[in-house]
Amino acid sequence: MIILLGIAAGVLSHVGWFMSQRPCGANNLDCQLEWMKTELKLSDEQFARIKTIHEKSSPRLLALAAQVVRMRDEYDAFERERTTSGQVDFLEFAHFVEQRRAVDRECLTSTQQLVADATRVMTAQQRARYLGLLGPVLQGTGRSLLN
Amino acid sequence: MHPPSDPLDPLLDRWRETPELPPHLAAEVWRRIAVVESRAERPGLFARIEAAFTRPSFAVAFVAACMLLGLFLAEVRLSRLHAERGVQIAQSYLRLIDPLIDETAVNVAAHRP
Repeated sequence: MIILLGIAAGVLSHVGWFMSQRPCGANNLDCQLEWMKTELKLSDEQFARIKTIHEKSSPRLLALAAQVVRMRDEYDAFERERTTSGQVDFLEFAHFVEQRRAVDRECLTSTQQLVADATRVMTAQQRARYLGLLGPVLQGTGRSLLN
Repeated sequence: MHPPSDPLDPLLDRWRETPELPPHLAAEVWRRIAVVESRAERPGLFARIEAAFTRPSFAVAFVAACMLLGLFLAEVRLSRLHAERGVQIAQSYLRLIDPLIDETAVNVAAHRP
């Protein structure tokens, strides 16, 4: 009887603690912000401000991401046409390149703005940690998000 | 008149000669009796475990130990889960804030401690 009670108590405490402490399961903005809060040890006030900043920028960034994907597909279509028919509509391609440059510029500006706004809320230590997370991304793309 | 000699007589004469008792015989007999009795009284393993669980202090300690073990195992699972989820969320965050980012850079950044 006591053994059964012990096993039941152990299982209940295991499940209860695990369920109450398990991390956010989705990849949405709320989970990302919760992760930032834990990772950067943000205070409630900092968290609220950073949440506002991200909520303000994320619709624009998501729209830009969709545009980037669409333009990558368009580029693939150009490339397919070039390799299959050996012909390229240069006027159309020039227009595409111009559009792509505009989108790239807008992406960079939006990202820079978000990072700058977020880092302004953080302490020096939090900023260093945050930029450390973004650092390899900046190195990988060869761009600077902090102007 | 003498009765005829019986062949059993010499044997019976020898039987009447009682051999000398070994020294400390009584003490040895009592020792062996004590050993046998103590074996009969000693409880088995199961009985001893049962007796231990009937003590309230032991029962409470056992239940508390089971709870602590449950919490420890949950913490081990959580730390592994947090590490895995941290990488995934870092990747999704980097993709959100930088639409132009390429997958290689995302993976490098997210796996950085």
